[in-house]
Amino acid sequence: MKAFELARPVTLDQALQELEKDSAKRDRTKLFAGGQDLVTELKEHLVEPDKLVDLKRIPGLDRIEVQPDGSLVIGCLVTLATLAEHAETKNFFTALAEAARSVGSAQIRSQGTVGGNLNQRPRCWYYRHELAPCLKKGGSECYAYAGLNKYNAILGGGPSYIVHPSDLAPALVAFDAEVTLRGAKGERKLALEEFYTLPAEADVTRETVLAPDEILTHVRVPAKPGWSSTYVKFKERGSYDFALASVAVAVRAAGSPRTIQDARLVLGGVAPKPWNVPKAAEALLGIDGVKTWTAAGNRAVAGAEPLAHNAYKVPLVKGLILQAMEALAKR
Amino acid sequence: MSALDPRAQDAAQPDTKPGKKKILVPRVENGHETMVEIEVDDAEGSGRPQWGPRDALRLVNHELVRVDAVDKVTGCARYTHDVRLPGMLYARFLGCPIAHAEVTVDVAAAKKVPGVVEARVVRDGEVKFLGQPVAVVAAKTREALEDGLRAIVLGIKPLPFAVTREQSLAANAPEVNRRGNASKPNEEGDPAAVAKAFEGCAAVIEATYEVPIQHHACLETHGAVVDVPTNDSATVYHSTQATYASANEFKGPLKVKEVEVVNEHMGGGFGSKFEAGVEGRVASELARDLKAPIHLMLSRRDEFLCAGNRSGCVQTVKLGGDVQGKLVAMQSSIDRLGGLGGGSHAGLPYIYEVATSVRTMRSVYTHLDANRAMRAPGHPQASFGMESALDELAYALGVDLVEIRKRNVGDVHRRQLDRVAREIGWNEHPHKSKPDLSDATTKVGIGFGLSVWGGGGHPECRVTVEISPDGGVRASVGSQDLGTGVRTYVTAIVAEELGLSMSGVTARIGRTSYGPANASGGSMTSASLAPAVKHAAFNARKAFAESLAKTLKSDASEIVFDVQGVYDARSKRRLAWKDACATLGPAGISATGEWQAHLASNGIHGVQSAKVRVDTRTGKLEVLKMVCMQDCGLVLNRTGARSQIFGGMVQALSYALFEQRVVEPDLGIAMNANFEDYKLAASLEIPEMVAILDDEDTRGVIGVAEATVVPGHSAIANAVHNACGVRLRSLPLNPDKLLLGLAGLKKG
Ligand SMILES: Cc1cc2nc3c(=O)[nH]c(=O)nc-3n(C[C@H](O)[C@H](O)[C@H](O)COP(=O)(O)OP(=O)(O)OC[C@H]3O[C@@H](n4cnc5c(N)ncnc54)[C@H](O)[C@@H]3O)c2cc1C
Ligand code: SF4
Repeated sequence: MKAFELARPVTLDQALQELEKDSAKRDRTKLFAGGQDLVTELKEHLVEPDKLVDLKRIPGLDRIEVQPDGSLVIGCLVTLATLAEHAETKNFFTALAEAARSVGSAQIRSQGTVGGNLNQRPRCWYYRHELAPCLKKGGSECYAYAGLNKYNAILGGGPSYIVHPSDLAPALVAFDAEVTLRGAKGERKLALEEFYTLPAEADVTRETVLAPDEILTHVRVPAKPGWSSTYVKFKERGSYDFALASVAVAVRAAGSPRTIQDARLVLGGVAPKPWNVPKAAEALLGIDGVKTWTAAGNRAVAGAEPLAHNAYKVPLVKGLILQAMEALAKR
Repeated sequence: MSALDPRAQDAAQPDTKPGKKKILVPRVENGHETMVEIEVDDAEGSGRPQWGPRDALRLVNHELVRVDAVDKVTGCARYTHDVRLPGMLYARFLGCPIAHAEVTVDVAAAKKVPGVVEARVVRDGEVKFLGQPVAVVAAKTREALEDGLRAIVLGIKPLPFAVTREQSLAANAPEVNRRGNASKPNEEGDPAAVAKAFEGCAAVIEATYEVPIQHHACLETHGAVVDVPTNDSATVYHSTQATYASANEFKGPLKVKEVEVVNEHMGGGFGSKFEAGVEGRVASELARDLKAPIHLMLSRRDEFLCAGNRSGCVQTVKLGGDVQGKLVAMQSSIDRLGGLGGGSHAGLPYIYEVATSVRTMRSVYTHLDANRAMRAPGHPQASFGMESALDELAYALGVDLVEIRKRNVGDVHRRQLDRVAREIGWNEHPHKSKPDLSDATTKVGIGFGLSVWGGGGHPECRVTVEISPDGGVRASVGSQDLGTGVRTYVTAIVAEELGLSMSGVTARIGRTSYGPANASGGSMTSASLAPAVKHAAFNARKAFAESLAKTLKSDASEIVFDVQGVYDARSKRRLAWKDACATLGPAGISATGEWQAHLASNGIHGVQSAKVRVDTRTGKLEVLKMVCMQDCGLVLNRTGARSQIFGGMVQALSYALFEQRVVEPDLGIAMNANFEDYKLAASLEIPEMVAILDDEDTRGVIGVAEATVVPGHSAIANAVHNACGVRLRSLPLNPDKLLLGLAGLKKG
């Protein structure tokens, strides 16, 4: 990998000082958290920054705070292992703990952070291959579109067909999570859903609205009293793998027969960003059962445009929704 | 009948001299196994070593803990990768990133990188396969090495390439092989007779089965650490399956007469490490020219692209049987896919007896590295074609899947099938001749597959056993341990013969100077080495008895060695082992041993079964349980033999579920030359596994490694169909294929 300067700020302000202001030069400086994604990018020469800004010496960012109303404020340096084992998260935001638990291997979870997870780069293997200068890397062609696209998007794709690789993101979107972005000029908060972009709507070389001189410092997950949730991820290899597809479902249910009063349904692994499908969630409302689950499944993949090798994701998503709802009904 | 079919060994052997007999033994040449005939002594007299009755054995054929287990788990075991010599330079290749190109290599900038000592062109001009090494850099640190490799300027003029079978066979395909992109098909059998036989069949099935190119995926990559040659000799640390023979390969490039190859531990070879290769040659040249030790081990990426592969194949099979399931006719055509190599396939029919058959086979060449031998070369491919077709026929006929197998094989396999069927739960299984087509969302299925292998030994090893006056016993063998536990059984055999415990014997292995030894291929190490170890221990014991007889004024035949020490039956005197050894002169005893045909045998059989669960909503496939029953002659270490079986089953499971080399067909670049994207089974994929050693086999030592990897993937694919009615005819059995298959079933 190319030699770089390693900055080790001990305050957020110092860290912000280190960052590049100029969007055109944004890859000259990179934030460095657990390094589980960044170091592979460096080794494969996908980014060759002059400077890394290590966030790990900044105190206070590695905590999960439970607010009096039950909402969570998660610092960007909280590790996936911590999140997966956090009692309140497990009890009240089950899908989030399950999503954290589903990431990579134990080693990656103990090193990888929430901030890094949400800001990780795509796994499309053309993106990851130095010799495929595709759109995502400023080239002129999406090789996956007509190439080996088994792992690519069936929804929201074009002109790039990546799927967003983060497991936390769909679960957090299902909980209406909000992120805090700190920049030199101050702080802005926005819904996590708005943080991610589709390639057709914004810069195709990026996946988020994060400015080069901003740091994602916290994720706030509003309390959802009376809700239950689950994250079901399908991995080709169970031991460790990214999602071929995943579903985060959260519902508020009561009564007998069990009736769903409110619901969220977000897909992972199928689109360039967490794929929130309120129409599918709506289909879940009413008396809980296979009928509404199937209807939700059909709506979730409405508009899917599979490429040559990924049509299987359509039945897969439907199957995962059935599995997720079955699991929730048993709770 | 294939050359490695165990039935081949039963053939009569005419023209044999008195006191001699001719036997067929497998031999590996250039990574390919062939059978050769050799003449051996036919004597079985009492003056020769014997394994003795099995129930009298104290160590051999027992559960033995590996003597080097602690070294391995604590990281003390020194592999070639771990060798560090004073002044050593790290070297590595730069590979051509595309499949076919005209390449110019400029190393000037690399030479200027601080820490880089040398940068050289390995190949320029036409590069014929993806990943072919074109340059090498040697540097003082691994960081400088990386920078040096990066600084090399390649001028690449892409040439038209063929990286898939379709591209190679296309009308305007680029030339891969001067004599044609496909070899001349070789035909065996009488097509007219087969066509006639099909007419009388109760059912006939026809289908095409595909196995992709896969990888050895050795955890230790290929390579060597070459020390600086001095005068006429040199020491080379080499990760090799042929410690003794590989010394010769280094002599030329090092320009020395003597080479000591050291290979104390190695991290896997599976057939890909018989030769020193370009890495061995270049490391030697650098060590000689730079006068510095060179550490040249392939990067993981290079390992995936230029260290061989297990060839794939496309096989079209037509199979017919009678009402009972007796196989009547088979027609097959096979394309082997071994990159620039010929590929390997054991041929069809495989294992099962088919009354009339015809097959054509050819190689289709692509711009990928040549295949190498890989654990049972050609057999897993043949197994997938044969077992899948047989299963399809069984369903077409409505015959029980175990019964149809029993009807077409010999006694040993029949017996093993019954035992394995019992263990996997076949007798209680409701779907014996029809898949489960119910509406259930999770379904369980069972599948079977058979294996054969030649194994056996041949005369090449010379083993030394030394007893020193202080009581120490040392066995030295030039052979290597591919992970099978050679040190452990060498220790056990010597300890058994001398009445000692395991801790009383030290086994030294993996050095040329320890004596001639066979290359480890064809599952022949144990059957070649163990008889020679036994012979050396036997000779040492005889020499010790003779020496003691003199001291004790007794007769050698009266001296007994047992766990309590040494006993002279004539004087009724008992000596502790140490005291007996103290009577030896300062030179102690040194005895050698050679291969003993009567202590080995060959030809083995196995049956495997897999139980799987399929979730029909998501296409999730879980292997729940695998069972293997295997004969292999005398088992040297029961724990070790079972561990071999488990290893074979896991490797086959990994092929079944995940493994496949992926090359981008339009760009000609490697998409999964790393352990993230080339998926191997890991801990959560490992099912409950049962390995049953077939103790009805009373023959000598044979060896077991390769047979165990032959049928597991076939059994899993068959189990998937049994579970849900989806027949997957191409490996790996990925969920995308299964989901599309399930969707197809729903549509009808
Ligand atoms: C083998 C393997 C398997 C994996 N499996 C999974 C999986 O199953 N699911 C999954 O979701 N992920 C997976 N990952 C991806 C990733 O490593 C982890 O998700 C991890 O959480 C990344 O966190 P990190 O702290 O190591 O990130 P880093 O590598 O340090 O950073 C990743 C990116 O985020 C940026 N970044 C880091 N922190 C911030 C911040 N606070 N604000 C703004 N930008 C920031 C960095 O600049 C960098 O570009 C896997 C990775 C590997 C290597
Ligand atoms: S999907 Fe995106 S990352 Fe993949 S090849 Fe297309 S443009 Fe590149």
